Amino acid sequence: MAFASGGEAQAQEKGNLTPADATSTNTQSGCREPIELTVNGGRYRFHVEPNWTLRQLLRDEIGLTSPKDWCGGMGACGSCTVIMNGRPVLSCLTLAVECNGAVIETAEGIAKVKHPIIDSYIKWNAFQCGYCTPGFVTTAKALLDRNPNPTEADVRDALGGNLCRCGTYQQHPKAVVDAAQVLKGVKS
Amino acid sequence: MKRFEHINAKSVDEAAAILKAGNTSLIAGGTDILGAMRFEILPDYPEILVNLKTIPDLDYIKEEGGILKIGALTRLEDIAKSDLVKSKYTALADAAHHTASPHIREMGTIGGNICQLTRCWYFRLPDNRFDCVRKGGKKCYAMMGENRYHSIFGAVKGCVAVNPSDTAPALVALNAKIKTNKRTIETEQFWDMVKPGSTILEKDEIVTEIQVPTPPKGVISSFIKFAIRKSIDFPIVNCAAMIGKGEARICLNAVHNKPYRCINAEDMIRGKSINESNADSTGAAAIEKAKTLPGDRNKWKIQLARTMVKRAILGCA
Repeated sequence: MAFASGGEAQAQEKGNLTPADATSTNTQSGCREPIELTVNGGRYRFHVEPNWTLRQLLRDEIGLTSPKDWCGGMGACGSCTVIMNGRPVLSCLTLAVECNGAVIETAEGIAKVKHPIIDSYIKWNAFQCGYCTPGFVTTAKALLDRNPNPTEADVRDALGGNLCRCGTYQQHPKAVVDAAQVLKGVKS
Repeated sequence: MKRFEHINAKSVDEAAAILKAGNTSLIAGGTDILGAMRFEILPDYPEILVNLKTIPDLDYIKEEGGILKIGALTRLEDIAKSDLVKSKYTALADAAHHTASPHIREMGTIGGNICQLTRCWYFRLPDNRFDCVRKGGKKCYAMMGENRYHSIFGAVKGCVAVNPSDTAPALVALNAKIKTNKRTIETEQFWDMVKPGSTILEKDEIVTEIQVPTPPKGVISSFIKFAIRKSIDFPIVNCAAMIGKGEARICLNAVHNKPYRCINAEDMIRGKSINESNADSTGAAAIEKAKTLPGDRNKWKIQLARTMVKRAILGCA
C-alpha cells in the first residue's frame, strides 16, 4: 500500500504526565500496567491505569486531539474512531491497557502522510464545522485500505456508524470515491 | 470510569478461575460492558475485569463434520463478511451484518452479542436509578410506565424487558448450540431472566464456541430487522426463519425476555409452499398469544411482529 502508516517513524520514549481527568484524583493506589504501542508510526511506552480508555490516552498523554468525545462514551457517534490493527474502532470503548502491541492511526497520522482523502474532503466540502470529520476520515481510510474500489453504496455502508450534526452526509461518498480514484492514479 | 483491576487471561480455565471469586466480570469486545460500567447502571461495579481477548484460538470460523464452528471471540464484522457463512448460513451472516454500526461490529464479538444485557431504559438509566426486578428489586417500572419497546408476550419473573440481540434469533432459527467451558447448551435453553443478565451461564462459565449444523441442501434461512435508523439501532422487532425440506424454524426477538420461537407458526408453514397468503396466515399465527402491556403503548409491535414473520418467511422462498 502506498500510504501505509509509518511516515517518518521515530522511536520515542515518553513518561506519564498526570492526565487531566477526574479519575486521577482518586487516591487509591493504582496498579499501572506497562504497555507499548505504535501511534502514527511513533513508538510509545506508557504505564496506564486499567480504567483509561484509548481515547483518554491519545488525547491526554500524547496530545492527539482528533479523537472526539461527542456521545459521551456510548459508542453511538463514531467521532472517536481510530484505526487499530487495520480495523476502524471506537477509542472511547477500547481500554488503553488492552492496546499492548497495537498499531494505531489517527487523523493526525493520515494528514502527516498526505493521504489523498484529506484533499478530497476539502475539494468536495465533505465537512462543515469539522467536529466529526476526523472520525469520518479515519473510517474512510480504513475502508480504502481494504477496498481500493469502493462504490458509493460501500462508502455509505462503511460510514454508517459516524454521525454528523451539520448533515454533510451527501458529500462523504463523493469524497471517498474521489480519493480512491486518486489513490489508483486515475485522477490527480 | 471508576477504578477496577484488569487481568489479561491466558486461557479459558484461568479466566474461569478468576470469575469464580467475588465481584468480577469478563470483557471481550467491551462494547456492552464498558458502557454499563461507565454509567454505573448495575448495583455492583466489578472489582476485577478479566480480558478474554488475550486467550489464543478463540477467533475462528470453520466447518467440521457438517457443523459450522465459530469461536466466541470472532468479531461480528468477520462473520458478516465470511463467504462461508454467507453461502449456507444466510440468516446468521445477515443478522451479524445488521447489528449496530460498522465500528461496533469491528469490536463486538458473537459471544458477547448473545450474552449482552437488556436495553430497557429503566434498567439502563445511569447510576442504577431504578432498583427494578432485574436488579433484585421488587418492581418492574416498565410494566406500568413507558413500555413502547417492551415485551408483547408478557413478563418473565416480573420483568418485561426484551432481549436486544440480532444474532440470537438467527442462531435459534438455525438450531445452533452454544458451547461453554462446562457444557454444550441448546439455544432454546440458553436465555432466561437471570438477575441482572439474560443467560443461564454460571458465574465462572464462559462461552467458547457457537456450533451451527449445516442446513441440508434446499433449506433456506433469512433474517429481517425493523429499527428506526436501520442497523445502528437496536431492533424494535427482528425475525429469523429457516424453511425447506419439511423443516421450519421461526424465531422472533426483541419481543420477549428471551428469543421467542413461534411454534404455532412453524407448524403452519412446515411442508407448505411459500407464498404471500401462506406467509401472511403464518404471521398471524405467530402473534396469537401476543398481548399488550398496561397502557397499550406497545400495541404497534404486535402488528410489526406479524409482518416481520411474514417477510422472514418470504425471504426463504
